Amino acid sequence: MSPSDTEQAEAGPTDPLADFAADVAAVVGGSGTASFGTVKVTVTADTWVDSISTARDRFGLVFFSWLSAVDWSNEVAVGDPLGEETAERYEVLCTLGDLSEGRRVTFSTDIDKDDAHIATLSSVFPGADWHEREAHDMFGIVFDGHPGLEPLYLPDGFAGHPLRKDYPLLSREVKPWPGKVDVEAMPEKDEDADPGAPSTENPGA
Amino acid sequence: MTSTDQDLVRHLSEVSVSVELETEDMTLNIGPQHPSTHGVLRLLAKVDGERCFDVRPVIGYMHRGYEKLAEVRTYAQITALINRIDWVSGYANEVPFMVAAEKLMELEVPERAQYIRLILSEMARISSHLVFMASYPLELGAATPLFFALRERERVLDLLESVTGGRFHPNFNRIGGVKPAAGAGSTQRKTVQDLPAGFFAETREAMDRVDGAVDQLEDLVAGNEIVLARTRGIGVLPPEVAAAYGVSGPNLRASGVRFDLRKVEHYLPYDRFDFTVPVGANGDCWDRWWVRLAEIRQSASIIRQAIDGIPSGPLQAKVPKVIKVPAGETYVRAENPKGEMGYHVVSDGGQGPYRLKIRSASFSNISILPWILEGALVPDIIAVMGSLDFVLGDVDR
Amino acid sequence: MSGLLDNFWVLLAGKVLIIATLIPVAGMVIGFAEMKLSAKMQNRVGPYFAGGRWGWAQLIADGEKFFQKEDIIPEEADAPVFKLAPMLVFVGTVALFVVIPFGPGLSIRNLDVGIFYALAVSSISTIGVLVAGWSSANKYSLMGGLRAAGQLIAYELPLVLATVGVVVMAGTMSLEGIVQAQAGWFGELGWTAGFPFIIPQFVGFVIFMTAALAELSRIPFDMPIAESELVMGYVTEYTGFRFLFFFLAEFANMFTMGALAATMFLGGYWVPGLSADVLRVAGPIILSVKIFALVFLMIWFRWTFPRFREDQLQSLAWKWLIPLSLVNIVATGIVKVVF
Repeated sequence: MSPSDTEQAEAGPTDPLADFAADVAAVVGGSGTASFGTVKVTVTADTWVDSISTARDRFGLVFFSWLSAVDWSNEVAVGDPLGEETAERYEVLCTLGDLSEGRRVTFSTDIDKDDAHIATLSSVFPGADWHEREAHDMFGIVFDGHPGLEPLYLPDGFAGHPLRKDYPLLSREVKPWPGKVDVEAMPEKDEDADPGAPSTENPGA
Repeated sequence: MTSTDQDLVRHLSEVSVSVELETEDMTLNIGPQHPSTHGVLRLLAKVDGERCFDVRPVIGYMHRGYEKLAEVRTYAQITALINRIDWVSGYANEVPFMVAAEKLMELEVPERAQYIRLILSEMARISSHLVFMASYPLELGAATPLFFALRERERVLDLLESVTGGRFHPNFNRIGGVKPAAGAGSTQRKTVQDLPAGFFAETREAMDRVDGAVDQLEDLVAGNEIVLARTRGIGVLPPEVAAAYGVSGPNLRASGVRFDLRKVEHYLPYDRFDFTVPVGANGDCWDRWWVRLAEIRQSASIIRQAIDGIPSGPLQAKVPKVIKVPAGETYVRAENPKGEMGYHVVSDGGQGPYRLKIRSASFSNISILPWILEGALVPDIIAVMGSLDFVLGDVDR
Repeated sequence: MSGLLDNFWVLLAGKVLIIATLIPVAGMVIGFAEMKLSAKMQNRVGPYFAGGRWGWAQLIADGEKFFQKEDIIPEEADAPVFKLAPMLVFVGTVALFVVIPFGPGLSIRNLDVGIFYALAVSSISTIGVLVAGWSSANKYSLMGGLRAAGQLIAYELPLVLATVGVVVMAGTMSLEGIVQAQAGWFGELGWTAGFPFIIPQFVGFVIFMTAALAELSRIPFDMPIAESELVMGYVTEYTGFRFLFFFLAEFANMFTMGALAATMFLGGYWVPGLSADVLRVAGPIILSVKIFALVFLMIWFRWTFPRFREDQLQSLAWKWLIPLSLVNIVATGIVKVVF
């Protein structure tokens, strides 16, 4: 499957996804890109609720798919750090879809890590309730105006926010992971043989 | 009326209302160990006689931290983990993640591999829906359909096992295609084995048996007056509410929305096959049962068409030994048996994702429980919960 | 020998012995039949290992297992009442055996008010169920007990009204008398031609069987023990021997309800063409065959249907069965007077 890319072909057909991204971005007042089949529209945090409800009304994006966040950090307690330096922030993502043609948009906004607040979407989409509770549990983001931001997943009395990059994995603290060196190398094989080719013409028949 | 008279009237009406509400209601704790909750789900319900108010689900008993784990795994290792999210339809969980990684790498997956993925995904759908056919009448009190449904499911699971080596957790996908079938792993001789001999004939027979079982189930359950009395008009879900909560899959289609991700998201070559999308009329428990029954038939038909038209060719695109996925992010979603399952992969060029967000169908499906169970009778809680067909692994990840 | 049998006490001891053996045996046979029949309906084999390849000893093994279990009484439970409840349920069943005629003159005691006594005494089980639910100090048991009480009381009426039609046709309440009325309907022909009351009283038969299923708390009426909802309903807190009482009482009750239905509607121990002397020997066998046919019907329903919801169950009783049975009585009366 060939992905749609952001570059406009010289004299080729226009990319429908990129056009759609531009339309949505124009309406909500943000910037939009279409890469790898996903339309992403970035807005500012104070227009978060308005952009999303406008997009829902204008483009029929009535299906609430999910809401979550990404912790962009340069120092990580577990896993690999980023290749290049990036601004430290939480990026809140929300995906909406329509129920006719299957178009979908992922809205994104950046919020500060030290004072992680953003308005709640539960008045626009009731389904956002649980997703925001999960984001609060995992990242510590406070959703202003949420009806009841109680823990959803974590047991009572759990300290910390697990999906933050500075939250360690207990198993790795106890025993350091040997790294990816324990993955066994593929055995030597013929250079001619195609790795995926079957040995008979139409096996399984 | 003077203002004091008005105040008096208002005060009196408030007094009478509060006296009425003085009856004690019982807080009923359904679960976490309970025969009907499909796993460790806890419902806190305030019950007045037989009616419930203020139902609150408590989840998280099965939270395994997939998203955190994914940050310290390679893409191949994650495949082994994610088929355990919705363990009833094991294979279907892997596909959207693979497609996401392949999109970021801009890989072209060979046709044969795509067909095999499609066949196994549809088998996973049949398996999951047959479990629903078995367990839902059991919750209503009818014990017999369970045996009919599970017997045919065993055939499908045997087929899955013959191809992938596992009944529930196949771990069969590889980046760029599928694994050469059971028997040709890295520790064995490199005779690449494709689908086992006789697979097509056995699958055709199994699909015939599945169709037969579906007809039997329809006779046994669909015409039954008591089943209709227990499920018609119960737990009605209007389509707008469903969409706003993110309810997807057969639950959404039962409410009348003709929307199937297999037709609009091109993650597998479904556009080559002829199948209809069954849609319900009212959005009650009966429609949710009926839509799944119809979907089993459609899946059997898709599998037959796929087997007839499967092309020969390689099973996996050429990929380097150590797989690094270039930087980028994408969200790929698929029509899983339970609903929309998607993976949002944020990659920064490493061997594992920087962030993996798993959008699981059952999480959104049961977020509707407080809304739909408001004012319901206690036996109806069971009927409605069962009809939503969720799995706790899918809810809690 | 007959002199010995004239002695009241010997006779009494013999009768008690008969009941004491008959009830567990009937319970076990029916329980075993249920296991094997349900297995057949579900493509399974059923009990297989206990007692050769047929598994006939399964229920004996189950009974033994229950005997040796620990007797747990919840701390918050009302102990004397908790212990009394299973006995109350069992008494309702045992007392019914007394009036069933197994052959001409072969009932433990042929009461003139036979059917009246039978129905009255079977309602004692209702108290037992309610008391079991309440004394268990468990919310689920309480809900099960309340549901059961509502259900059992609601279905007493159709049960009783359905039998009124039979009583009107037979002209007597004694069960022996009812059988004889069916056998000798065409008086001149003796017992070679008569007809079972199911033919004119088919509606009454259907109502009786439905109400009997509800009295037994079997699916489709097993809301009180709705396994998938209330764990085990009012029986949740009972273990070991006490649970065995409930378990056995259910199967024994199936036998007695089947016996009542067979006696009133199917002609009991009588089959056209056999004389009274033959029937003294063959009567029990004939009655057992008829009972078994009805029990088969009950087992079949149990494994085919899901369960009714409580309010649907109640509306079925009050809105449908009771009016129907009243119409049945009126029609029977009119026919009896006119013809």
